Formats: sequence, structure tokens, C-alpha cells
Amino acid sequence: MSDVNAVEVRDLVKEFKTSFRRGPLRAVDKVSFTIAPGEVYGLIGPNGSGKSTTMKALLGLVQPTSGTCSIFGHDSTKVDSRQDVGFLPENPYFYKHLSGEETIRFYGKLCGLRGAALKTRTNELLELVDLTNAKDRRLGGYSKGMLQRIGLAQALVQDPRLVILDEPTAGVDPIGSRQIRDLIFNLKSRGITVFLCSHLLEQVEEVCDHVGIIHKGRLIKSGRLEDLISIEEQTEIVLSNADPALLDDIKKLIDSRDGAELVRTGKPRTTLEHLFLRETRDADSSNDE
Amino acid sequence: MSKLSSRTALFSPSRTLILAGSTFTQLMRMKVFYFLLIFVLIAIGVNFIELPHTVGPESTGSDKLFSLKDPMIGAMRYFAIIIAIVATALVIPKDQEDRTLYTILAKPVPRLDYLLGKLLGILALIFAGLLVMAILFNVVLHFHTETLLENRLGMAEQMGWSAEAIESERQDILRQGPSWSLQRGILTIFLMSAIIASVALLISTFSSSTLFTIICSTLVFFVGQFMADGRDYYVAKAAATGDGSNLTTYASKFLSLTFPDFRPFNIVDAAVAGKMYPPGVFFGLLGITAMYMGIYTVLSWFVFSDKEI
Ligand SMILES: Nc1ncnc2c1ncn2[C@@H]1O[C@H](COP(=O)(O)OP(=O)(O)OP(=O)(O)O)[C@@H](O)[C@H]1O
Ligand SMILES: [Mg+2]
Repeated sequence: MSDVNAVEVRDLVKEFKTSFRRGPLRAVDKVSFTIAPGEVYGLIGPNGSGKSTTMKALLGLVQPTSGTCSIFGHDSTKVDSRQDVGFLPENPYFYKHLSGEETIRFYGKLCGLRGAALKTRTNELLELVDLTNAKDRRLGGYSKGMLQRIGLAQALVQDPRLVILDEPTAGVDPIGSRQIRDLIFNLKSRGITVFLCSHLLEQVEEVCDHVGIIHKGRLIKSGRLEDLISIEEQTEIVLSNADPALLDDIKKLIDSRDGAELVRTGKPRTTLEHLFLRETRDADSSNDE
Repeated sequence: MSKLSSRTALFSPSRTLILAGSTFTQLMRMKVFYFLLIFVLIAIGVNFIELPHTVGPESTGSDKLFSLKDPMIGAMRYFAIIIAIVATALVIPKDQEDRTLYTILAKPVPRLDYLLGKLLGILALIFAGLLVMAILFNVVLHFHTETLLENRLGMAEQMGWSAEAIESERQDILRQGPSWSLQRGILTIFLMSAIIASVALLISTFSSSTLFTIICSTLVFFVGQFMADGRDYYVAKAAATGDGSNLTTYASKFLSLTFPDFRPFNIVDAAVAGKMYPPGVFFGLLGITAMYMGIYTVLSWFVFSDKEI
């Protein structure tokens, strides 16, 4: 059954009506791509480039002007296509008066879960997104990161084979976004297809195996991440505890060979994200527990 | 791996009920509901305290009860209509604003289920509100009827009325007390609000603002109350002058669909006046209500299924 694509978007065009004098606004312009089952696909692009619109068309929330979208072979304009998909919208916001637990139960019930199965699933998900302690609090009092996580839990409630995440880490602190990243890895290891978009390129680089770059509604690049970012003719060597003499020897060796050229040496640097995480984690463990 | 069936029923009663339940709780949190409910309860309660001690010879006992019932039923009617219009106008834009509409419709939830769930939730709210008011209303009315009977009949006996005269006075007063006709009248108010709510739902599927929905629905309500008379007049005139052309009949048919005819529902006034309101008439109105609601809901569904959200 893996021969049917998880996501198939064909020549998708979406135009929005604007004022009378100006023509329609083309938010998505002939976008085509496919996502195979089990892939993690990241869509990146500037603000207003049509990422969210593409996702909404895939979910049947907006009607395509032309072109087709399907999920596991089911046409997106039909309700059936929504059986196997979970969606986290950008800046999610739910019924404020419900608690975290009630929210998940509500969406679970909409997917046809009942009784003991619903209860187990709810507890499982609360555990998964680390909100078990906050499950009885009203969503009105949730922080942005907590809302994002309850949104993720809600998307996963019926154990879908495809998860669509619109900026899952927007407004979330580095630790929270690290948790969300781990969650995506977890989904991937269970064979769940993930389609996400984000502005955090390092994260996209970390979790996605396929990426698409969209600009002004056009998909300008799409493919395996490895293929897109590797510099084919270069090779990297990272050494530890190398003394200057060894480096000199290596340089000499390279100079003696034809064609090869040393581009640069230096110390690899950690990313700011990693530094932030390490420092805050250290501070945490020395403060509490 | 997935245990879900691959087909989604076009309409599922249980899913609709879940959505109705969530709409009901969502609306219960709206202050407008409590504000109106408390206002009406106070209006009814004030009558309870103000006992009709001033039974003068110039007003009959039944007049007294009528002037008690009339404003109370009026208050209940306004409560039902206002909630029907305001709650319905608010409910879809609220979901849109909260983005819950996205997450709900991204689940395998047909749009018809969503619309019916919203409508049902609103009707449940109106019903609950009317029930609370009806109970209080009947208690108050019962209490007043008893007091009045005691006063009146005691007075009549003292004045040496004949047995028949006393009996007829008793019947007169009882007819104005709590009766099944009156309960059917209250249910009829509910039916009316149900029609108005489905009109408001239809308008809110294509309107872009809550205010527009409220104004248009209110307009439809008033036009439905009064315009029907004007329409009949024109049709009659056209028939009389002989140019009862297709155009006029079609126009009048079109009007009667756009603006539901609320005149038959005015039987509530008769019930308040102590007249008989037979169950048969009530079931007739129930049928009319079902027809209107069916038409408006199907139209809402057509508009809503293509709606960009
Ligand atoms: N409902 C709508 N009506 C009119 N125009 C819209 C609508 N939704 C989106 N657009 C327009 O379509 C374009 C693409 O919007 P979209 O939300 O898909 O961008 P995005 O890539 O998700 O951006 P961001 O990174 O800011 O979330 C924008 O120019 C936006 O103004
Ligand atoms: Mg977006």
C-alpha cells in the first residue's frame, strides 16, 4: 500500500479575490510536489509566499482555483481525505473554556473515538506532549508553547498517518521547540509522514529529509535535503587534539597532490541554539531537583 | 494500522450532538445569555412579589391575570428571538476567529454536521432558557390564580351571588390560569425562534460581519411579521384586477420563502388571552417550522460547503 503517495499536489493554483480594480491575488502558483509515506517534508519560504494556503488547500479548507490535492489517494475536497490526517494550524487557539484534557477529548470524539479507547488515547497524548500536569487547567491560562503542544496532541488524536504542521515552533522557546523537534523525530520513527513549514531553517535542516522552497507562490526548488545542500566537490575533516605540527604535515601533504586544495581550517563552532540549550539546561539542573 | 473506516458518513447524528454540546457550553459562557435570562427572570419575579390585592370591582379577575401573563410572555418571546439572532450571528465568526473552525473541519467532519451541530446547540440553549422561565412563569401564575380565586369567590359569596354565577366566575379565572394551551403557546415561541435561528445561520454563512447578520435577521423577522399582510393584499388586488400574472404569483412565492410568514404563530396571543389552542394547530405549526428549517439549513449547507475559511 506504500505505492500511493501520502501527499500529492498537482498544479495547484489558488487565487484570492481582492478589490475590484486590482486583479485577483495569486497566492499559490502552479505548485506540484509529492510526499512519499514516511517522509518528513519541510516547506520553507518568506512570509506570504503561500505556505499556509498550500496546506489549507490540501486539507480542503480552501477551494483550489485549479489543480488538485490528495491525501493517500483521496481527493482533498472530500471529507474522506481527512480520516488519516492531523493538522496543527499556525498560531493555534482553541476553546478557552475547555481544559487541556477536554480539548483532546473533544477532537477525539469528533474522530469517532469513545469510552476507554478515548481515555487511554487522551492520557497517552497528554504524556507525549508533556502536559499531564496541566491537563485540568483551562486553555485560557495556557502559554503559547503549551497551546502549540496541545495543538499537536489534538492533531495526533486519531493516530493519523499524515501530520501537517504549520509553523509548529513559532513563538516557542528553544527548549519547547527542541521538544517539538523530538516529537517529530518520534513520529518519523513510527513511520508517520510529516509535512511542516517553518521559518527556523536549522530545525528544518535537522528534521526534514525533503524540502521545498516556495517564493511568491511558486515552488522554486524541491527535493532531498542532502542533494540540495551538499557541496559535491568538497570534503570535511574534523580533528580533535591536533597539534600545529600535524596540521603542517597535512597541509604539506595536500600541497604535494595535484588538484586538491585546502579551502580553510579553523575551529568548528556550536550554534547559538545549542549554546542556549546547554546553558539553560545547566542552570535548570543546578536550581531545582 | 489505522482502525478508522475509510469512509465518512455524510451525516452522523453522534458527531452532530458532540458539536451541539460544545456549542451549548460555548454559548453558556456568553454574557448576553445570562444578562437576558436574569433580566427576564427579574421581570417575572417582580410580578410574584406584587400581589394583586387591589381587586377592584371595575376589573374582572381574568383581566388581572391577563395583564400579568401578557408582559411575561412578551418578555419570553423577546428573550427567545434575541438569543436566536445574536447567538447564531456570533457562533460561526467566533469559531473562525478562534481558528477552531480550522481544527474542527480538518478532522473528518462534514460541513453539514458542523452547521447542524451549531444550530442544535443554539436551540438547546434557547430551550433551556425558556424552560427555566416557563417553570417560574407557571409557578407565579398558579400562585396568583389561587389567590385570586380565593379573594373573588369569597367576595362573591359574601355578596350573595348565585351558585351559577360563582361557578362561571370560577371557570373564567381558571381559564386564565396555567393551562395546556398556554404551554403550547410557550412551545410555539420556541418554534418561532428556531425558524429565526436557521434564518440567521443562513445569513451568517455568507455575511462577513456579525452586525450584518444581526440586522438582516431582525429585518427578516419584522418583515415576516408584517409583510405577509401586504403581500396578500397585492395578490388579492392583482387577482381582482385580472392581471394575476405569473410574475405576481412567483414574486409572492419568492417572498414567502425569503421571509417566513410568522402570522400563524400569533396564535400565542390567543393562548395568552385564555383562548383554546388545540394540539392539532400546534402540530401544524411544528410542520411549518420543520419545513422552513429544512429549507434554510439546506441553503446554508450549499453556501457553507464552498466557503473559504
Ligand atoms: N483569505 C485570504 N484572503 C485574501 N488573501 C489571502 C487569504 N489568505 C492568504 N492570502 C494571501 O495569500 C498570500 C499567501 O498567504 P499565506 O498565508 O499562504 O502565506 P505564508 O507563506 O503562510 O506566510 P507566513 O510565513 O507569513 O505564514 C499572502 O499574500 C496573503 O495575503
Ligand atoms: Mg503561514
